[in-house]
Amino acid sequence: MSPEPERPPRPARVSRRGFIGRTTAASLGAGALPRPDQATAAAAAAAAAGAPGQPLPGPPGTEVTLRVNGAEHRVGVDNRATLLDTLRERLRITGPKKGCDRGQCGACTVHIDGRTALSCLTLAVAAHEREVTTVEGLADGDVPHPVQRAFIKADAFQCGFCTPGQIMSAVALVEHGPVGSDDAIREFMSGNLCRCAAYPHIVRAVRQAGSTGRKR
Amino acid sequence: MAEPVVGRPHNRVDGPLKVSGRAAYGADHSYPRLVHGYAVTSTIAHGVIRAMDTSTAERSPGVIAVYTPFNAFTIHPVEGLRAPLQDTAVAHHGQIVALVVAESFEQARAAAFTVEVDYDERRPAVSLAEEEGNARPIPPVMGIPPVVTRLADGVPSITAALADSHITVSAAYTTAPQAHAAMEPYSAVVTWDDGRFTVHNGTQGVGLQVQTLAQALGVTTDDIHAVNPFVGGSFGGKYRPNAEVQLAAAAARALRRPVKVVLTREQSFTGTVIRSGTRQRVSLGAAADGTLTALSHRALAGAVADRESAELSAQRTSLAWYAVPNLEVRQTSVPLNTPDPTIMRAPGEASGSFALESAMDELAVALRMDPVRLRIKNNATVHPYSGLPFSGKHLVECYRLGAERFGWRRRGTRPRSRLDGEWYTGMGMATSVYPGFRNPATVKVGLRADGTALVSCDTADLGTGMWTVLPVVAAHSLGLPVRRVEPRLGDSELSPAGSVGGSCGVVTVGPAIMAAAHNAVAALLSLAVGEPSSPFHGLDPADLRYDSGRVSGPGRSMDFDDLLEAMGRSGVEALGTAAPGDESERYVFDSFGAQFVEVRVNRWTGEIRVSRALGVMDAGRIVNPKTARSQIVGGMIWGISAALHEGLHLDASGHLVNADLANYLIPVNADVPEVDVHFLDHPDTRFNPLGSRGIGELGIVGTAAAVANAVHNATGIRLRELPMTLEHVLAGLD
Repeated sequence: MSPEPERPPRPARVSRRGFIGRTTAASLGAGALPRPDQATAAAAAAAAAGAPGQPLPGPPGTEVTLRVNGAEHRVGVDNRATLLDTLRERLRITGPKKGCDRGQCGACTVHIDGRTALSCLTLAVAAHEREVTTVEGLADGDVPHPVQRAFIKADAFQCGFCTPGQIMSAVALVEHGPVGSDDAIREFMSGNLCRCAAYPHIVRAVRQAGSTGRKR
Repeated sequence: MAEPVVGRPHNRVDGPLKVSGRAAYGADHSYPRLVHGYAVTSTIAHGVIRAMDTSTAERSPGVIAVYTPFNAFTIHPVEGLRAPLQDTAVAHHGQIVALVVAESFEQARAAAFTVEVDYDERRPAVSLAEEEGNARPIPPVMGIPPVVTRLADGVPSITAALADSHITVSAAYTTAPQAHAAMEPYSAVVTWDDGRFTVHNGTQGVGLQVQTLAQALGVTTDDIHAVNPFVGGSFGGKYRPNAEVQLAAAAARALRRPVKVVLTREQSFTGTVIRSGTRQRVSLGAAADGTLTALSHRALAGAVADRESAELSAQRTSLAWYAVPNLEVRQTSVPLNTPDPTIMRAPGEASGSFALESAMDELAVALRMDPVRLRIKNNATVHPYSGLPFSGKHLVECYRLGAERFGWRRRGTRPRSRLDGEWYTGMGMATSVYPGFRNPATVKVGLRADGTALVSCDTADLGTGMWTVLPVVAAHSLGLPVRRVEPRLGDSELSPAGSVGGSCGVVTVGPAIMAAAHNAVAALLSLAVGEPSSPFHGLDPADLRYDSGRVSGPGRSMDFDDLLEAMGRSGVEALGTAAPGDESERYVFDSFGAQFVEVRVNRWTGEIRVSRALGVMDAGRIVNPKTARSQIVGGMIWGISAALHEGLHLDASGHLVNADLANYLIPVNADVPEVDVHFLDHPDTRFNPLGSRGIGELGIVGTAAAVANAVHNATGIRLRELPMTLEHVLAGLD
């Protein structure tokens, strides 16, 4: 479950500070950057109080190409932005969840180039031109993935917040199989926390999906 | 009637949305011009903010506003809730002391890190043990005073009753403070548009959320629309709107822009609410045959400043569980500099049952009596505090069936008599009791010309299965297949059904669904005889019959959708209200269960593993066994977690040192054994017409004690502190 790329991404077109200003509003989101002339109330108050006046310079941005669930997105990102926040806040792909933002819970699990990755520990720039699959991309048209069906049948979730991550891990196990014993399933699935504690039912779902064949 | 659908297993109707990423939780919402708020939290646990330097943050790229106690908008105080940024007092480490709002999350976060705070630091009260001398009796809760003493005629005191007992056991127990740690962090997305707020934020009740926020924001409830159909777990933590919701709403109004505030996981631990730790002493006296003669239970928990405590370990267990002629319960609290203690799954019962049920096991050991037999012997047939009978109590059946299914007779009676490789094995058991709460609710049911039905109210599904309960009960009442009923919930514009909490969801909403379905059918029949275009026009409504979607009258019968179409109607709908009556003056509506646990304890490392667990539950009529089972399984795993994993650690300065999901241990999949659940089937229509009782909290009650009792059975080591960690086992293994 390493979030590290197996190969270094092709160098993304990293530009200098002025880059973001040249990016279209559409790709960045309108108003995503402070303009020098855009005095905020707070900044104005600070200036009035005698604080050093000039707004601080921003960090560099990068234009990346993200291939998510088969669709290509060109997006100008803050270099600090994670893949998770970029998916959620910029591309509005909100299946991957932010449970901890530091790789401890697994709710943000996606596949990058067919392998599980924690999108909260992956910078968006590191996913440049790589194939990203989220839970939204598992179904074949209207036909859910066998793991998705098995999760419903086994009642392998309650609140459902960890479920997108659980399912991405389970799909990796089922598709790369064999799923192995129940203990092996428990071990493999232990990077995905479930506070509702649907664990026994998750094991059942993975076992069932594993036995009905890897391919849909 | 069609085949009954209540009581059969149903897949969650919200399942397809949840497995595909299409269920939108609070922070999944976005709006044009949305901005991001990032909280700054205190680095001390007690003191006053002298000054803050926000100048760098204010000049940082993308920053729109920095709100501190020195410049923030007004948030009005709401009883029992801390109004954020309204004063400079710091009451605990990790308290929110500023909110930085910027165009992007990254910008807000970077700027937040530059905020500097100068504190006047004071000594924090952190440890329950050290503050025990400052403990005071709690204020009365639900009419129950903090100290309750019931003595048999002629007995001068509980001390005397214990002294006169044939045998006594007395021990102190402690439980750790805990975090709700729902997978969904505390978060909110709020828009303010033309004087009206729209709020997306996980909550246990949009109605209470709207009321609370209206007070905090100084607006009317009509000015707030809460839309929260999906909640990523709550367990009590999101019962009321915490700081992040109040801040997002106030900032949205101040900035005239939609605001999203997502607390980090660490902030979700420190900046919100917790379950208090407890210190308890239970003393039991018994006759030689095991009959209880005296019970004393003293419990101390952390409190908010006004001494109110949510974790009423003694009151919520020992006043209700066993028949005993001499009983004293003493409930005290002490304010601490921790995140505010609040309700968390089975508040009081979870911690109190650890002490009481451990003590019962200690008594069984002292008496050389089987723990199941000891409990059956002391089974209360009337509620010890109120003297009322139970509406339905089949606890003895739970004990007997559980013991049989679990293979209790194979349990060793001597510690360390069962060794499997390098693992000592043992079995333990405990009682589960959770009181029945029920609130009034109003539900709308509609029949539509497309042949479907609609059922709606403003209740919440926290993962509990309410999304499925609505159509199951409506389908049952209307004689329709579940798939033909569409549910709606979690929206404050729907009819009021109250908050969910205290395991009251199904028993509150279910009877109202039945009433609404009845009223919808009555409205349909009334239309059928009144509408000139109806084939039943002019008949007496009493001549019409509705059954399984068909309306029948003299000489003809038709499906309701055809009838609606014939009348040119798109549908017919009706409200139904159901509320508790005076039945609580005659009965007590507790749910019951018996829990059995098998553990393996490594003879060299002291590691404790739960290898099997069984819960046999007596909770009235189970609406959907599939989701009900999940709730009990989840509750039991919470109990195992409390036993072996969970505990917030505060250092001497009051810092929460394990405020993240790697260091605050909750079970992972590999920690969890097969958990078996069995429901008895005794509908309880004295409680409500549906015959159900609560199950959301029952599963956690007693489990930790069952684990501790199993550890004792395996090793002879009695652990009285939660979580039970291996250094304590090792100390006893010598």
